[in-house]
Order: sequence, then C-alpha cells, then structure tokens
Amino acid sequence: MSKKINLIINKLKSEDEESISLALNETEQLTDITDDDKIALTSNLTQLFYQDHVGMSEMISLANRAEKQITRFGSVVIPFLIDELVNADAESCAHLGRVIAVNGANAIAPLLDTWNKKRSDQYALINLTQALAYFRTPEILQTLPEILVAADSSNYQLSSNVINATGKLVVRIDPNQFDEALRLQIFNISFSHLTDSHSLVRMQAARTLGKLMGKGLLTNTQKEDLRTAYSAILGKDDNHDWDDAYIVRREAKRYLPRLKTTPTSVTHYQQSFKIISKKELCPKTFHYVIEAPLIARKLQAGQFIMIRPHELSERIPLSICGWDSEKGHIEVVIMSAGKTSIQMNNLSVGDCFKDVVGPLGQRSHVRHYRGTCVVIGGGFGTGAIIPTARDLKALGSRVIGVVGARSKDLLILVDELKAVCDEVIVTTNDGSAGTQGFVTNALEQIIKDERRVSHVLAIGPVPMMQAVCELTRPIGIETMVSLNALMVDGTGMCGACRVSIDGETKFACFHGPDFDGHKVDFDQLTKRQKMFVAEEKQALETL
Amino acid sequence: MSDKSAKKRAGLSNKERMALSFQEMSLLAPEERIQNFEEVPVGYSLEEAIAEAKRCIQCKKPDCVDGCPVGIDIPAFIKLIENGDMADAAKKIREKNFLPAACGRVCPQDKQCQAVCVVGKKKEPVGIGSLERYAADYERQHGTLELPEIPAATGKRIAIVGAGPAGLTCAYELRIRGHEVVVFEAFHRAGGVLVYGIPRFRLPMDIIDEDIEFLEKIGVQFVYNMIIGKILSLDDLLEQEGFDAVFVASGAGLPKMLDVPGVNANGVYSANEYLTRVYLMQADKFPEYSTPLYQGKKVAVIGAGNTAMDVLRTAKRLGAETTCYYRRSREEAPARTEELEHAEQEFLNWHWLANPVEFIVDENNFVKQIKCEKMELSDPDTSGRRKPLPTGKYFTEDVDTVILSLGCDVNPMIPATDKGVKTNKWGIIIVDEETCQTTKRGVFAGGDAITGGATVILAMGQAKTAAKAIDQYVLG
Ligand SMILES: Cc1cc2nc3c(=O)[nH]c(=O)nc-3n(C[C@H](O)[C@H](O)[C@H](O)COP(=O)(O)OP(=O)(O)OC[C@H]3O[C@@H](n4cnc5c(N)ncnc54)[C@H](O)[C@@H]3O)c2cc1C
Ligand SMILES: Cc1cc2nc3c(=O)[nH]c(=O)nc-3n(C[C@H](O)[C@H](O)[C@H](O)COP(=O)(O)OP(=O)(O)OC[C@H]3O[C@@H](n4cnc5c(N)ncnc54)[C@H](O)[C@@H]3O)c2cc1C
Ligand code: SF4
Ligand code: FES
Repeated sequence: MSKKINLIINKLKSEDEESISLALNETEQLTDITDDDKIALTSNLTQLFYQDHVGMSEMISLANRAEKQITRFGSVVIPFLIDELVNADAESCAHLGRVIAVNGANAIAPLLDTWNKKRSDQYALINLTQALAYFRTPEILQTLPEILVAADSSNYQLSSNVINATGKLVVRIDPNQFDEALRLQIFNISFSHLTDSHSLVRMQAARTLGKLMGKGLLTNTQKEDLRTAYSAILGKDDNHDWDDAYIVRREAKRYLPRLKTTPTSVTHYQQSFKIISKKELCPKTFHYVIEAPLIARKLQAGQFIMIRPHELSERIPLSICGWDSEKGHIEVVIMSAGKTSIQMNNLSVGDCFKDVVGPLGQRSHVRHYRGTCVVIGGGFGTGAIIPTARDLKALGSRVIGVVGARSKDLLILVDELKAVCDEVIVTTNDGSAGTQGFVTNALEQIIKDERRVSHVLAIGPVPMMQAVCELTRPIGIETMVSLNALMVDGTGMCGACRVSIDGETKFACFHGPDFDGHKVDFDQLTKRQKMFVAEEKQALETL
Repeated sequence: MSDKSAKKRAGLSNKERMALSFQEMSLLAPEERIQNFEEVPVGYSLEEAIAEAKRCIQCKKPDCVDGCPVGIDIPAFIKLIENGDMADAAKKIREKNFLPAACGRVCPQDKQCQAVCVVGKKKEPVGIGSLERYAADYERQHGTLELPEIPAATGKRIAIVGAGPAGLTCAYELRIRGHEVVVFEAFHRAGGVLVYGIPRFRLPMDIIDEDIEFLEKIGVQFVYNMIIGKILSLDDLLEQEGFDAVFVASGAGLPKMLDVPGVNANGVYSANEYLTRVYLMQADKFPEYSTPLYQGKKVAVIGAGNTAMDVLRTAKRLGAETTCYYRRSREEAPARTEELEHAEQEFLNWHWLANPVEFIVDENNFVKQIKCEKMELSDPDTSGRRKPLPTGKYFTEDVDTVILSLGCDVNPMIPATDKGVKTNKWGIIIVDEETCQTTKRGVFAGGDAITGGATVILAMGQAKTAAKAIDQYVLG
C-alpha cells in the first residue's frame, strides 16, 4: 500500500470532519489505484456510513461523497461491500445498497450467492433486499423469483422488506421486462399478504399491488380481484369490515380510484348475439331471444336493430318485440321473406348472428292520452307494437290491441299482446278466429264503441298501414306508422331508406321508423320496397 | 452539410438533378382495368423510384414540408430512397404519418406538397406521393415495419368514436403515449371511408387491414357494431365506463340529396349508398354476397368531385355506360387532377354545364330519364369564381340509374344525442382550433366531423393535434 493511500486512510479514520473532507478531496484526485488499495479505501470509506450524523448535516454530505468514490472503484469492491451490507445497520444499509446497485448486472451474481449462503440469517436477508431496491438494471429481475419466496417468511420485517423492494423495482424498471410468470408471482405473493397478520406487511402488499396496477402489469381479472380486495380493506363491500390499520387503508384508498375503470378489456363490450331460444309462432315465422346485453340496456319502444347473420349476408332491419335488460336479452320475430330471413330462420339455439347493431331509430311517440289508444299489428308488426303498447299503458292510457291475419294459424303473439293491453281484438280474413274481416273493420268498431280514440299505432304490411291511415285521416285521429323501408346501414349514412313525409325527404332509419301516417307517401314506399325484386329472386335461387 | 455529401454520393449537381426527367407512374391499360377492380397505378419499380428520388434537389428550406398537413420530412425520406435505404425511408415517413400506404395513394399531393415543390417551378414537381407509396409498399412487402415501443401504461383510457382515418390516427398517437385506447366503430369493419367509400382500384383493401392489424398489435382495442350515441352515450363513456376522454371522429356521413322531382325514384342512389353496397357489403360479388345492387345499363353520376370520379369508375367496372353530369365546367371540377384524368381515360361520357332538374320515372317509380338544364358560366366575380347560370335550355337523356355525388354533411348522431356537443349552422361540430376540444369537457373531435367532407390527411393532422391535447388533458 502506498504511503499516499495510508495517509488518506489515516485521515479518514480521524473523527474530525475537516480531515475527513480533506481525505475525500485527496481520494477524488487519485488515479490508477490498485485493486488492493481500492478495497482498503472502501473499507475505510464505508465507515463513514456508520457515523452518527444526528445533528451533523456535514456528515451526510461526507457520506454521500464517500459513496461517489466507492462507486468509482467499480466491481472489485463488490464482495467487500456485500459482506459489509450483511451486517449493516439501517442507515448504512441504504448507502451500501446504493453503491452496490450502481454496479448493475455485475453485482447480481455475488448478491444472489450471499443470499443463498445466508438463508438462515434473516437480518442479513433484510439488508440484502434493501440493496435490491436500488437496482435499475432489468437483469435484477432474475433474482426476484428466488427472493420473493422470502416474503412468506415468518419474520414480518423480512416479509415487508421483500414486498417493498419488489414494489420499488416495479416502479424503476421498464414494465416490458417483467415476464408473464414474474408478474403472476409478484401478484400472487403480494395479494396473499393483503391479509397478513402484520399491518406493515399488509401495507407493503397493498402498495406494491397498486404499483403493479399503475404500471399496467395486471390482467383484467387480477385488477378485478384487487378492486374487490381494496374495497374490502376500506370496508366498502358488503362486509363493512375495514382493515383496522390506517396505513393499509391509506394505500387502498390511494389506488382504488384508479381501478374504478373495471372494463379495461373490450370483452366487456363484446356481445355474442347468441340465440338463447327459438320458437315457431306460425309457419315461416319464428320468435328469437338473442343475447345482446348492451343493446338490451338501452332499448326503447319502437326502436329496431340491423342484423347481419353471417359474413356474406346483407344487413337487414328487424323490429324489437321485447327485451330483458337484466338478463341482457332482446327478442325479435323473423318472418321468412327472402334469402336473408330464410337463412336466419335456419339457425338454431346456440348459433350466433355475426353482427347486430342497435338500438336504432327514435323512440315511439308515447305519452299519456286521455282517450283510448289503439295499437294494430299485422305479420311481424304484431311483435313490434308490444313494447309501445306497454309504454302507453304504463303512462295510464287505455290501450286496445288489434291483431290481424289471413287465418287462424297465421296469428301470432296474441297472448303476449293481451298481457300489455286492456283488451285485444283479433281479426282474420277468413273468419277462422276472432271477427271476420280486416283490422280496419275492428278499428272502425272501436272508434264507434269507445268514448274517444286519441291515438292509433299501426305496424305491419304497407297496405294495412295505408288502409288504417285512410280510415283515420278524415276523422283526424293521430296515427303513427312504422315504416319498413329498405335499409343498408340503418344509421342515416346512405339514404337508401328515404321516405317522403309531407313532401319532404326523411331517412326512415334515423328520423323514424315511426312517422305521422297521414303524411306518408305510401305509394312511393311500396314502390321503393320493390326496387330489388329481380335481385331478390336471383338471391333466393342461390339458397 | 447533407447537401454536400448528397452531391458527392449521387455525383449530381442541382442542375443535373433538375435536368432529370420525371418518372411517370405506369397505369394499367384503360381497356383492361375497366374489366376489374385491380389497382390502377402500378407503382414505381426500384429503378424508377431511385430515378425519381434523384430529381429532388434537397432544398435547405423545403417548401414541400410546409405543404404537408402532417409535416413529413419529405427531403429526408426521398434522400433515403435515393440511397436505397427503403426501410428507413418508410420509417422516416412514419415518424409523422402512420398510414403512408394509404396516403401515398389518396392524398391530393397536387394541392399540397407537390404544389409547392421547388422543382415544380420549372418542371414537373417531384413525385412525392408516388415515392411515399413506394417506400410504404416496400415496407409492407419486405416486412420491415417495426412495432414502436409502447411506454409504461399511464392508467388513462381514451375512447375513440369512429374508425376512419381520424379515429385511427388519434388511436395510434395516444397509444404510443402509453394510454389505453378503445375504438368504437358503428360498422362491422374498421377504416371508415377508406373501406366503404374509396374504391379498391385506388386503395386495395388489404392495405387498410394491415394498418388495423398494426394498431391491434400495439394494443389498440377495437369494438365493432357500436354506435356511440345509441348503445353508449358520451356520458356513459366518461362516467360509467371510466374513460378519461373521448375523441369523436364520426366523419361526414350524411349524404346531400338533390331537391328535384324524382329524387326518391327507384334507381336513384346517394354515392354513399352505392359505394357502401359495392365496397363494404361487396355487392359486386352478388349473389355470393347477398347485398343487392340495382345496377342499370345507363348510369348517370351527378357531381364532379373525387367521390363522383370514384362512383363513375365503379359503375363502369360494373359494366354500365356511364355519364357524368356537372353544372360547372371541367375547369371547376373539384376532383383532383389525377383522378379526373384517370377517369377520363376510362371511356366515360361527360356532360359539363348540365344541371339536373328532374329524374323522370316510369309507372313503377323506376327512373328512366334525366332532365338537365344547360348552364353557362358567368364572368368571374370578385372572388374570381365563375358561377353557373341557367340558360333556359333543357335536354333529356335515357338513364336507368342515377347516383348523386354531391358531398356529405357531418354525421349528426353525436350532436343529436348529446346536447353538450355544439355544432354550427351547417351541423359541423364546433371545436377549439388549438386543441380540437368540443364544447363538452373531456370530448374532443377531428376529421370530417369538424370540417365537413375533406381529406384523409387533414383528418389525420387534426387527430394528431387532438391527441396531443388529449394527452395533456388526461395527464394534467
Ligand atoms: C324498421 C323495420 C323493421 C322491420 N322489422 C321486421 C321484423 O321485426 N321481422 C321481420 O321479419 N321483418 C322485419 N322487417 C322487414 C325485414 O327487414 C325484411 O323482411 C328483410 O329485409 C327481408 O330480407 P330477405 O333477404 O329475407 O328478403 P328479400 O329477398 O330482401 O326480400 C323478399 C321480399 O320481402 C319483402 N321485403 C323486403 N324488405 C322488406 C322490408 N324492408 N319491409 C317489408 N318487406 C320487405 C319484399 O316483398 C321482398 O320482395 C323490418 C323492416 C324495417 C325497415
Ligand atoms: C368516395 C370518397 C372518395 C374520397 N377520396 C379521397 C381521396 O382520394 N383523398 C382524400 O384525401 N380524401 C378522400 N375522401 C375524403 C376522405 O375519405 C375523408 O376526408 C376521410 O375519410 C375523413 O376521415 P374521418 O376519420 O374523419 O371520417 P370517416 O372516414 O368518415 O370515418 C368515420 C367513421 O366513424 C364511424 N361512425 C360514425 N358515427 C359513429 C358513431 N356514432 N359511433 C361509432 N362510429 C361511428 C363510421 O362508421 C366511420 O367508420 C374521399 C371520400 C369519399 C366519400
Ligand atoms: S420542395 Fe421538392 S425539391 Fe425541394 S425538398 Fe421538397 S420535394 Fe425535394
Ligand atoms: S338505411 Fe342508410 S340512411 Fe337509412
């Protein structure tokens, strides 16, 4: 050892700040130091870490300067430092941790080595984990699987230190460096300590989990679990049994709001459009219950959906005849008319429609009417009037339903309609059920019998709706009809569904589908519905 | 400095560069291309690309960059092409524009970068768009595209309404800043006008699909069949679904119709309907695909913008005799020059200065004739624009399909369902120009929704502005 070094060391050993400072100055000037000298210097410099510096701020800066010098010596001094660390006190531990960690990857092997040797020395392990937390190289993560095991130690200080150090690494190191297995291990171990018997451990666990979440290292189920756990800590769940340690609740309170956003996964928005049930109402006409929870939540009477049963098919509009927002179900009636509706009616329970879009169109015109409301359905329209009838009745109006069909076996949904109306009248053209005749005959009778009819809603084939309007027009009864124009997108972007309302062009899908029937150009509607007759036939032939 | 080394490497002076001849991109022969939906411009070969790149004089103060709505470092990427560093050229473009393959094809360069190119002062401007396309195609074909690093999650979530160019760009910009991004699209497919408007022969479908795939790979999430305003309101997104901000990019999807007799006749389509049927729903493959298209033998297309050109050329490819009717003259046609020229090569008929006044129908309401008034142009007014004036002379022609390509108004769904989002009298969503923030807190908007029908690149530029502001908003 050179004289120069000896001199420095002597100064360092003095208790006098000024000479220590001098010694540090001299150390800073040194170049070409031998390895032995480095170790000798380090062993003396590290002594500064132990100095009691209460009330002596200068000592802190001296210790920091010592750190810098040791850092300069590189990896030769690592074994020495680690030995020192194992026995360090709380203060020096931080200094030693830092000087070890700046060596990055070089320090990792010796550290793990010592860890394995000292397994039974919990004090040593606590110190080693503290050093761990200062690393910034991603390689340090290789040690975690081993070290995390110690979180389950019965020594709560060791346990909390391990979890704490892990949390620090989560913040310091690029999230992409945490592989799947490691994320899971950190989560599971930390999560299991949320209910540790010691509050310090619980706090560290709650905090580390919060950090994991903050760095985007949790899966959605993990987030969900964590949310439940935080809520429980805060007594916000059904048990109302909060964690009695404030420090634990504080962490939960800090991180819970950031988990409020449960649906981090878009699976939340994915609807299966699965057929839950299928029922034949009459030949070629089926009633379906379809899984579509988001649509079910928002539906209003009179709205419709666009449905594309499979990749190659067109989008076709369908009225809604019922829904259950709790179960997430919607109900439709499909009548085989051409290729697409036939294809749909060939599907079975368990099959899924490719795309369903909705709810579309505006809500039906509903309010409380003093006089009687008459809702008239023909064909699939019988289903479509049910929700509106229910709303009208709920608002306190008297509602009479009228269902028409050619003959008895084509009548559909009469019971369902009865459930939401004060009275239901059935008409068949051939008299096989109810009164013989058309829905208009029944309407005429109702107008005669009732004190006053204030509102009529008709949904069904165009000629039927048109006839109803002709009947009510001269006597000025407000009459709404739902226009089943041909549609492409159903959202107002193409104009395929143009209808003339009082001479003005409207888009049935966006402004409608319900319109004031007295203003509708039915002739144009009828003709526009026949726009693709030749193509429809051609399509049907491909079935 | 770079100028000098460039000279050395290529051994060319500016004067020599200026003397090089413009590399015209070759096109499929008109006779051949009207039989199919193949992409018309075939793209540069390696040699052509390098030859064209050499024409760039690497201006120290490049006007072209200012002319680009997203500020691509044009001379830099052209230099890279000249040096043969194609993958790097693409990377360079991607610093500013993450849809280079689409933009290289559909941007109106003649009104942007190429319009101000210094070489263009004396000769044909540098083929910037074609070079952009070349670099982008090289990247696609050679798989050199690298996924960007996504920084640590910020824990912020942003909802994007609409998967057109504006929505996609905003999604990209926010994702690479570490936010979680969910795109809600009304249709079953992402791309907006790029898939249901712009024809395949100008922009092949797989390009957009690749761009969507790229976004999915970097973690942008897509949900289809979701009409925001109907299935979830803006308030639902912000309050119940935990989104920190929303970007509305719902486009200009409301077709303008003519107010003339017969406009609701069978066989009269909006361009939106016609193109949606053909491209999104693939009616050209009817009846394998079930969406029908009543496609007559004589098709009249009203209008002369880019959309009209697309419709004309689509109808031609579907086998019709096709005619364009426009109330001004060719000079005023709003279509970009290249589109107009390509259309003109495709055996179409042109009726300039013809203003449709009626669509005459048969007894089944099918259109059978178009009646037009002949127009003449006024002298230029103070703004220099020449107005079409009626002449009182009419002509009628037989047609069995009419397609109205008169542009679109802003999609009304969002403002109609959220009163907090205010629009001006044209239905355009009002935003702060600096931030693209709407009148509703936490809701931003961009693209055609705030301009009316415009261009892909403008939509992208606004989306970038909005992304920056959203980033600050959610982190601030
Ligand atoms: C708002 C609205 C709500 C509807 N609700 C229902 C419903 O709840 N249940 C149901 O079965 N159908 C309903 N329809 C009609 C349904 O959309 C059509 O039956 C369907 O598009 C036919 O498709 P396709 O391919 O099977 O037949 P296509 O081959 O397209 O047509 C076969 C025949 O069906 C008739 N048709 C086609 N489209 C319509 C139409 N839009 N309206 C009336 N008739 C048409 C025509 O006579 C046509 O010639 C509704 C339509 C609209 C616009
Ligand atoms: C035929 C045609 C040709 C064109 N050619 C060119 C060209 O060559 N070059 C050029 O630069 N520009 C061209 N344009 C214009 C260009 O396409 C548009 O300016 C651009 O697409 C606008 O982008 P955007 O994202 O604002 O809107 P869009 O592309 O319109 O996308 C909007 C998206 O939002 C969805 N959406 C709407 N409402 C909702 C809602 N409530 N909820 C969820 N999703 C919703 C839509 O389905 C759509 O996918 C052309 C346009 C057309 C129609
Ligand atoms: S203006 Fe033209 S010549 Fe100048 S850098 Fe841009 S592309 Fe090259
Ligand atoms: S169906 Fe396209 S606008 Fe109504």
